Amino acid sequence: MEADSKSTIVEFDRRQVYRPFIERLNPIASLLDLVADDLIVARDHDPRDPGQPPIHVAFANSAELSRGSQMALVGGIGSGKTTELLLTKQALSRHSDAVTIFVDLANDTDLSDLNTGAILAAIGMRLYSHLRMTRKDLPKDLVAAHGKLRELAFGKTILVVPEEQDYDGGEETVRVDVPGLMRLRFPALRREVKEVKELLLRIASPLLESDAQITILIDGLDRLIMAERFREYAEQDLQVLRGTKMTAIVVAPLLLWYDKSRFLQDYFDLVKHIPAAAADPGDSVFLKQVLERRGAQELMDRADVSSIAKYSGGVLRDLLTLARSAAEYAYRDDQDRIGRQHVRAAIKQLGNRYLVGLGRSHRSLLRRLAMNQEFPIEDSTARELLVNRQVLEYFRGGREFFDVHPALAKVLPKPA
Amino acid sequence: MIDFSVTTPFRLVRMLATAGYNTPSIYLLICEAVALEAVQADTEAELKVQLGLSLRSLPASGVRPERIEDALGSEASGTIPLVILDQWLPKLVASFDRNVVLLATNGTVLLLGTREIAERTLAAAPNLRNRVTDVLSIRPDQVFGDLSV
Repeated sequence: MEADSKSTIVEFDRRQVYRPFIERLNPIASLLDLVADDLIVARDHDPRDPGQPPIHVAFANSAELSRGSQMALVGGIGSGKTTELLLTKQALSRHSDAVTIFVDLANDTDLSDLNTGAILAAIGMRLYSHLRMTRKDLPKDLVAAHGKLRELAFGKTILVVPEEQDYDGGEETVRVDVPGLMRLRFPALRREVKEVKELLLRIASPLLESDAQITILIDGLDRLIMAERFREYAEQDLQVLRGTKMTAIVVAPLLLWYDKSRFLQDYFDLVKHIPAAAADPGDSVFLKQVLERRGAQELMDRADVSSIAKYSGGVLRDLLTLARSAAEYAYRDDQDRIGRQHVRAAIKQLGNRYLVGLGRSHRSLLRRLAMNQEFPIEDSTARELLVNRQVLEYFRGGREFFDVHPALAKVLPKPA
Repeated sequence: MIDFSVTTPFRLVRMLATAGYNTPSIYLLICEAVALEAVQADTEAELKVQLGLSLRSLPASGVRPERIEDALGSEASGTIPLVILDQWLPKLVASFDRNVVLLATNGTVLLLGTREIAERTLAAAPNLRNRVTDVLSIRPDQVFGDLSV
């Protein structure tokens, strides 16, 4: 019988074998569900330094000991940044006075239209929700501050009576800005940011007065990609949190890690980077554990697990995508287990995905990297390849280097 | 030409049945321009037969970049949205990329377009490219041939 036939007779329900595995491998599943199902594998050390504690432990320790500190986490797309934030949240919950707020800005607002002050507004609204759930009889002025904050966040409609303009009275004034002698380290706060700051501090006041340990985890800003826009929010919204004893841990775009201005290192108290892989991905115990926790050993051989780890390049989301695709191909072929041919097909499929959109200049850079290990990170095309994960950043033996994504390298056409 | 895995509406829906159509997933489907309508009609029919679901087709040109959640959110359960990438819309694709988490909040979302538009979409949207569940070349059932990948 052909695999494609539409027979309705099912002798053995193979779906029950593959469905749970595929569900556990969803690369865009809710991470909260994964935490609840105990599917998250925590690293046992900093990916860049085996002598240092894992990132989430370092973040939690700093938040507990240095209230008001600001930390940043950088890593490429799919490297596991959100997972580290959630593990940090979990670690912080060991103290009863901990108030840990997780803000995924993409869930709250359209990042295309984000304005300065919006992050503070999101934090204020989350803190208010926390207070409402944990305390009775909130002061009236606090409730009013929340109402005003919502107005600022979501806007309002008011009816106004247009006034006739009077052109006769008064002299026309022209604004002239006289620059000062000293250049401010950070630009002055904008009016709307100042306004939101006052409201946020009023809302947070019961928690601050009770000396609670407040930590704000901010996810999503890395999707802005453009480093300048991230910097704008740091210099406005995050700057407001300085000195308030509210700790902030924020996910930042990868390109800032390579920015010559060293803004991340200068602005934040602690910066952590998740490289694609710190060792050879094919030998990574961590990557294999991630697959095994989701049931890979039930459906594939060890060699295939290693192969998937290797061709993921160490990118966690690609690891899940490869395993999932291989499982789908095995199911399509009516096989009870995932075979080598299914893994190969999944690698090719992922490689093809990365092949899309590569022009001559991209391909030339990729070949230079593959052959001579040359990668001019200041070059805009090179940065594009890095952001798109066609090139991955690695860290081994104290040395940072770049390489072509192994799944892409597998399908990259040879020069004519 | 990049040869993505080939599928048909029948196989696609069978896969959705296995993976769970209500779990967040985004499929980018590549199709020849002449077959767009046939693929759309076949997918609609297969969803009805295999899963008892209906397809809600909406042209990308009718989706406002600042309102993607409203456009894709299922106002009725039992519906799978299919966004037809009917023209190159850089603003909408940028919005998909920045707000990719919102795209599949309610379950499966299908994006269907010609090779040219699908490839431009992937190239311009790194977050989307990384989160797309699969990129598949889709053909109507009757012209389906070699399955090798």
